Amino acid sequence: MPDSRPEHKAGIHGWGAYIPRYRLPLKLIASTWGWAEDQYKGLNVVQKAIAGPDEDSTTMGYEAALNAIKRAGIDPAEIGAVFFGTESKPYAVKPSATIIAEALGITPITMATDLEFACRAASEAMRTSIGLVSSGMLKYTLVIGSDTAQAQPGDVLEFTAASGAAAFIIGPSEGAAAVFEGSYTYVTDTPDFWRRSLQPYPRHGEGFTGEPAYFHHIISSVRGLLEELGLKPSDFDYAIFHQPNGKFPVRVGLRLGFSMEQIEPGLVTPEIGNTYNASALLGLARVLDKAKPGERILVAPFGSGAGSDAYSIVVTDRVEEKKGRAPTVEEYIGRGVEVDYGFYLRYRGKIKLMPR
Amino acid sequence: MVGIIGVGMTRINRHYGKGLRELALEAASSAVEDAGVNGVDFIVVASSLSYKQVGQLDLAGHLASYLGYRGSRGIAVESGEASGLAGLMVAYGLLASGVADKVLLVGVDKLTEYNSGETYSHLEGLYDVEGDGFYNIGHAGIAGILMRLYMNEYGVDRLTMANWPALMHANAKVNPYAMLRFAITPEKAASAMPLADPITLMDSYPIGDGAAALVLARGDSGDVEVSRVESSTGYPSPAHRDDPLFIESLRDAVARIGLSREDLEKIDVMEIHDSFTITAYMILETLGLSDKGRAPRDVAEGRYNGGGAPVLNPSGGLKARGHPIGATGVYQLAELTLQLRGEFPGVRVDGAKRGLAISLNGFGSSSYVALLTAR
Amino acid sequence: MITRHWRRRHNLYKLVGSRCRSCGRVFYPYSQRCIYCGSREVEQARLEGDARLVSYSIVYSVSDEAKYEAPVILGMVDIGGVKVIAELTDVSPGEVEAGMSLEPVLRRVTVNGESGLIYYAVKFRPRLGGSGSGGD
Repeated sequence: MPDSRPEHKAGIHGWGAYIPRYRLPLKLIASTWGWAEDQYKGLNVVQKAIAGPDEDSTTMGYEAALNAIKRAGIDPAEIGAVFFGTESKPYAVKPSATIIAEALGITPITMATDLEFACRAASEAMRTSIGLVSSGMLKYTLVIGSDTAQAQPGDVLEFTAASGAAAFIIGPSEGAAAVFEGSYTYVTDTPDFWRRSLQPYPRHGEGFTGEPAYFHHIISSVRGLLEELGLKPSDFDYAIFHQPNGKFPVRVGLRLGFSMEQIEPGLVTPEIGNTYNASALLGLARVLDKAKPGERILVAPFGSGAGSDAYSIVVTDRVEEKKGRAPTVEEYIGRGVEVDYGFYLRYRGKIKLMPR
Repeated sequence: MVGIIGVGMTRINRHYGKGLRELALEAASSAVEDAGVNGVDFIVVASSLSYKQVGQLDLAGHLASYLGYRGSRGIAVESGEASGLAGLMVAYGLLASGVADKVLLVGVDKLTEYNSGETYSHLEGLYDVEGDGFYNIGHAGIAGILMRLYMNEYGVDRLTMANWPALMHANAKVNPYAMLRFAITPEKAASAMPLADPITLMDSYPIGDGAAALVLARGDSGDVEVSRVESSTGYPSPAHRDDPLFIESLRDAVARIGLSREDLEKIDVMEIHDSFTITAYMILETLGLSDKGRAPRDVAEGRYNGGGAPVLNPSGGLKARGHPIGATGVYQLAELTLQLRGEFPGVRVDGAKRGLAISLNGFGSSSYVALLTAR
Repeated sequence: MITRHWRRRHNLYKLVGSRCRSCGRVFYPYSQRCIYCGSREVEQARLEGDARLVSYSIVYSVSDEAKYEAPVILGMVDIGGVKVIAELTDVSPGEVEAGMSLEPVLRRVTVNGESGLIYYAVKFRPRLGGSGSGGD
């Protein structure tokens, strides 16, 4: 490993997940809206996680961050930046990052901001954090990806738009559970998926979200990273990609030369749907829950609009002591209870009550 | 010496056609007529929820003219559900100190100016808005917690708990001023629609408006004397108590009057604050009239309707007579006065000489006790 | 309500109550005077430790603001020996039972319409993974 790369000075000290309790089976969406079964069967998603009526991206991000801090075992006041990546901000204007920072005891001497880049805002925050930490400017940062993804009822997007959060404490490589080895970002102006201001639901270009957007950007960022680091797919133990459904991450991984054995451990969407900013990062959290010292992880989030980051991460022997300090992704997946479509409509506020 | 020389009440109901002013006027006119006086020199208005529902501040100032007493002195008293007896405490002080000779005490409240969802939100203000009341407790949530706690603690089943509302409805049936003038069985009360499980619709006071009034005078006029009125403040939440079911502020208020358990047992008639079934049992066990966990069975065995202990709530209580929040204490006083005069137009306690009114806010953030004696 | 919630955000987000240095009692919420002995010697104390459901009510008669969440499950919770009344979450009426093990979480409590503020505070949910994992 050449140590000239600044990434080597930064690592993951704690990771945390959050997945809400409620699960909506896709077959109920299909039967409500008259979709043929084939419409969703190919997505390789069985059910999606939906947040309760008292949850939003802020409360979910809070719990994921609390879990990350527990694993890091640090004093929250040592955190110098809180980055909150979401595309489902409870407030259009007013940061969620400050609410989370206050509730976790990180305020007041800290940076705090909400970031937006469709599903990869939190990933951008991770790369920003590497810069802040490796430069010595900050000791720890908190990176949160959290979404209560919204979809117009009846839109095909409704099958996968789900709720979840993931968070990471980024700090110096010394004492970290995993150390960054390299990072690479690839962005273009590609309008595959968007939501205009004041609109409740996003729109998308259907098939246009695939090749020119998802596949082109992830393939470009991963190939760029591998080239810079002089690594090949077989050098990795795990490969995690953004997961808009259960099909795309497998296809992009295989095309890049990774195997199912590398891809499968980080797949979460088949069981909970697409959690947007948390999607690939929950995959990373799930892999860290079981990774062994010395293993190498590739993670490549993607956001519409469009861009992808690719990271190479090497697990250290400090990972073991941190695993049991907070609930695992598996435990959150396992706590699901099935709900029906009416429950989903009411709990996600899709039935508007009359203003008084 | 302070005497009650006149009483007046409106029937408690959903008085959609009458505002605060009309209700107050009706009760005040009856009381003044009953007293046979020409004027009063002080008006004390007891009201609570109307500040949220009607929105009128300086109630005494704004009501005086419409009651025909512009120019009299006036003050409004707000102590939540205990406002009525708090009003009595103020009136008593004014009379005993010689500041006033005749006081008109009007308890009046409106609960039906809004739909129920909004009214529940207003009623949450009776609880600690900086603590419990920050959450969506509704009007009965804390009562529900306490009722389940009681049932679990003492192994009392749901049906046995329902003896109280059954007795209250039996009493209210013959009280012309009561809101709910129909009988119910314990079975029906226990299986009614849940409001805050295990509290059913029939464990709770109904939402209704009303006004009651007294004319009080210094000296020995009037058939009924206000012997003592006392109070104590308590914890903001029942969660602050070691035993959430024990109302320490009520114990303290009773102790300030100097009434022992034996003294309480010799009271002829009481009007107590049964906002919910559980509140009635908590009061009986705090006073020591029933042993802990025994109150529901004591009620079933007839102890409190002629079975030797004081007769409780011959009016039907908050449960069935009704509970127009800030006016309720004044209803209790008017009813006890009529009992001591032998004129109560419902279940009558013959030969009653001493009556006790007990009023709380919530589950004891304030407790008030008033002892009335026939002259 | 805007400023009231802001003043009390530490209580509401982190369950900060009071510990009296005179009588030793701990209570919620924070108060500058001890509600038990009246002492001024009160310090802020975060409520921590095992949380257990003492009693609860399933509240159907809720205010309009709580309609999305009805029925509200309201609990009396013992946390580290201090009793508080708070909402429960992530539990259905059929699952809740007195004595169950709980843990604090941050949730929305009141939302002021479509354009007003969102008020967050601690609620309690059944402890993840029962009494064992899911904690510290």
